[in-house]
Amino acid sequence: MGKVIVVTSGKGGVGKTTSAANLGTALAILGKTVVLVDADIGLRNLDVVLGLENRIVYTSMDVIDKQCELSRALIRDRRTDGLTLLAASQKNYKHHMQPAQMKAICDKLRSTHDYVLVDSPAGIEHGFRNARAGADEAIVVTTPDVSAIRDGDRIIGELQHARISPINLVLNRFSPELIRRGNMLDQEDVIDLLGIALLGIVPEDTGVIASTNRGIPLVYDETSTGAQAYMRIARRLIGQQVPIPDFEQKGLLTNIMNWFTRKS
Amino acid sequence: MSISIRHLFGRKPKSNSIAKQRLQLVITQDRSEIDNSTNTRLLYELTEVLAKYYEFSMNSVQMSLKQEGNSYVLVADFPHHGTHNLKGN
Repeated sequence: MGKVIVVTSGKGGVGKTTSAANLGTALAILGKTVVLVDADIGLRNLDVVLGLENRIVYTSMDVIDKQCELSRALIRDRRTDGLTLLAASQKNYKHHMQPAQMKAICDKLRSTHDYVLVDSPAGIEHGFRNARAGADEAIVVTTPDVSAIRDGDRIIGELQHARISPINLVLNRFSPELIRRGNMLDQEDVIDLLGIALLGIVPEDTGVIASTNRGIPLVYDETSTGAQAYMRIARRLIGQQVPIPDFEQKGLLTNIMNWFTRKS
Repeated sequence: MSISIRHLFGRKPKSNSIAKQRLQLVITQDRSEIDNSTNTRLLYELTEVLAKYYEFSMNSVQMSLKQEGNSYVLVADFPHHGTHNLKGN
């Protein structure tokens, strides 16, 4: 029996879909069977981030409407064995899908896959409630800024209310340089505020933009810091012990400079 | 606290410490499900009542919300300047 993990954030634009696509691909590279479920009905994007937008024939809505079998709706990613996508309908059928139907799909998928990653829409409304319906665990993605953290805390409350556990944090667009200058909350601050376990840190990586432009998830570019970060997170998900690197590592001079300017 | 100390030495607080303080307050309010505008109205009404008896500067009135385990403590500070400010004296 596979695990169902919802990838969510509360606020939009913090890298939920990018994280879901990269973690799903990373898990498949590590030899796991993975299905990525786009739960953002009406505003789907997981297909374009994965570069699979031209291969969608059926969506989860067709499965619910009994237009096709679930297995036929799964789009195989030819680049990596074991990776498939269940696309969302691009028509606004939001209220057509019910949490119980999403749960049924997730339960069916977990019997044939190691991991079912559900990409949640932003917000705490209907779409989010669908996305979390079949999940055992959650990954909350946040960036180190005030609005993303505040909304992240709301989402964590909603997930706890639904008894989803564990809820792990992925800190995205982390900038050691801004932290050094005292202009960005560091990981300890964010964990302290949100009170959940840190699964991983993804440093700011401009390569994400080009990777999305091409429809090739970042993890395929092994030299990128973002790819390495997602691979480490995927390894932790499958139970390997991989330490979180010290992104704030600095030379002697910066250490001395920091000693004079550090925060109290 | 740390902000006021640093103000004393004339150094501008770093934006990350301001962010953390603001988030601590806002997250506590969100979790308590107490609407911030309710608190603000409560503060105004309390101030009106207290102003009948004491003199104090409106700028010094502060309200904070603290989380203690599963419960929330609402604290209102009305610093008044000694008994000589007692109205009617």
